[in-house]
Amino acid sequence: MSAYIQGRNVNLTFRPPNRRPVRALQNFDIDVNEGEFLSIVGPSGCGKSTFLNVLLGLAKPDSGDIMLGGKRIEGPGTDRAMVFQEFGLLPWRTVQSNVELGLELKGVATETRREVSQRLIEMVGLVGFETHYPHELSGGMKQRVGLARALATDPDVLLMDEPFAALDAQTRDLMQVELLRIWQEAKKTVLFVTHQIDEAIYLSDRVMVMTKRPGQAKKIFAIDLPRPRDYEMRVTREFNDLKLEIWNELKDEITSR
Amino acid sequence: MSESHALKADIAADDDLVTPGRTGWQRFESTLYGAGSIVVLLLVWEIVPHLITISAGTKLFFTTPSQIGGTLWTMFATGTIWKPLGVSASGFSLGLVLAIAVGLPLGVLIGRSRTLNAMFDPFITAFNATPRLVFLPLLMLWFGLGLGSKVVIVFIGALFPILINTYEGVRNTDRVLVNVVRSFGASEWDVARLVVVPNAMPYIIAGLRLAIGRAVLGVVVAEFFGSESGLGVMMVQAAGRYQVAVVFAGLIVFAALSLAMTALVQILENRLSRWRPQHAGNE
Ligand SMILES: Nc1ncnc2c1ncn2[C@@H]1O[C@H](COP(=O)(O)OP(=O)(O)OP(=O)(O)O)[C@@H](O)[C@H]1O
Ligand SMILES: [Mg+2]
Repeated sequence: MSAYIQGRNVNLTFRPPNRRPVRALQNFDIDVNEGEFLSIVGPSGCGKSTFLNVLLGLAKPDSGDIMLGGKRIEGPGTDRAMVFQEFGLLPWRTVQSNVELGLELKGVATETRREVSQRLIEMVGLVGFETHYPHELSGGMKQRVGLARALATDPDVLLMDEPFAALDAQTRDLMQVELLRIWQEAKKTVLFVTHQIDEAIYLSDRVMVMTKRPGQAKKIFAIDLPRPRDYEMRVTREFNDLKLEIWNELKDEITSR
Repeated sequence: MSESHALKADIAADDDLVTPGRTGWQRFESTLYGAGSIVVLLLVWEIVPHLITISAGTKLFFTTPSQIGGTLWTMFATGTIWKPLGVSASGFSLGLVLAIAVGLPLGVLIGRSRTLNAMFDPFITAFNATPRLVFLPLLMLWFGLGLGSKVVIVFIGALFPILINTYEGVRNTDRVLVNVVRSFGASEWDVARLVVVPNAMPYIIAGLRLAIGRAVLGVVVAEFFGSESGLGVMMVQAAGRYQVAVVFAGLIVFAALSLAMTALVQILENRLSRWRPQHAGNE
């Protein structure tokens, strides 16, 4: 049986006009099971965002196969949604109407839209900011709007590109718990890019370490910590051993420049 | 984080306390000075002809504010102004509306499509570099002396600022935002509607402001050059009859028209710019 998400020999080179081409992905292989929580860590610029964009259907690889549920990914679809690294909020839309963007494009009725957005705005702790514009929000608040927006369309696959990077430590902890709850309840498949090894271990079933650019899958770690996970796990021996192992794998890629 | 927030809050609070009062007074002060200088000018203009003696011949070329005011009053009271004003205003608005209807979509298309851009670019550059007045005799020949030629002249004048500004604004679109809406399954039309046009709006408004100036100029030029009727025609004919007050009256109506349109655009801009940082503080 082939995996739910399957990438084989994915190659992607950016060719910006008047500049050197940049190889972002080279022979990139990946298998993700349905309902799995997979984190990806790797050096900055190694092609993590690029890969998520390929999965999202926004970037076309030069060669290689990328399948989702047995079908080749040809373009964007409502079965996937991304929490963007740069937030990507429409500055002329309020928090509420940013959250409702995907629903609007799906043609969902206003009333239902309002219900969904209100529930998610509550979940990410932005009640009272519904009519604020993005420039009136802090970085962490913007990021939470991006999270709510991705969840609004209730996608099967959630692509998260450093979704908690701009959050303060406490909000981050809360959001991690929320994310795990949603993931478990709604049986979503999550691909989670982060630079925080702790976070990757804490959340994931497996953690993939990528090489430096051009990005390749270097090693995959299975995280066999029991679920539901709790905060105390982070101080256990097992957790820290894993952390060290992953860090060692990652360190080579960062230092060997 | 909390510290910088507190700091920002302090600054905001200070602004609230000090600036509105001061700007309020400053605004009042400058309005006062502005209005005052106009009143003084009008008074001087009114009084000087009474103080010095002007020969009857020279007097033909001059008028006074009270005469202009009286002429304007009569024109509106008797209704003689409405026909020329109506003709000029319809030439102006039809030409401007057409320029927006063509310039905006065309600017978006050219900005979004490399092929269309390559196709249209030489024309736009050449056309825009040519002084538009050059086309006037030809346009009069083709479209006659009625409303048609006026509309076309206004259209040509107003089109380019809108087209070029829209194009610039569209080129400046944030790729991340396009990707965001695409990821939710947006069509090219949705992308234009949800990202490209709102993003270009400040540019489009600036273009519109320029276009209004060009449109008024178009009306004036068309009517000075040769038209059957309109405010400009009225002014030219009045000048021929040494009715200087009527010429001034036409001038004032034109100026009022421009000012009113500019104010309208300002209102539009304030409405559409509520989301922008620099506007938030003023509301
Ligand atoms: N649109 C683009 N045009 C040209 N080069 C690009 C483009 N997008 C990404 N790249 C290049 O591709 C490489 C991979 O970029 P990507 O954004 O996928 O990295 P990343 O792993 O997400 O990094 P980070 O952890 O810093 O977010 C980088 O070297 C980047 O410069
Ligand atoms: Mg990235």
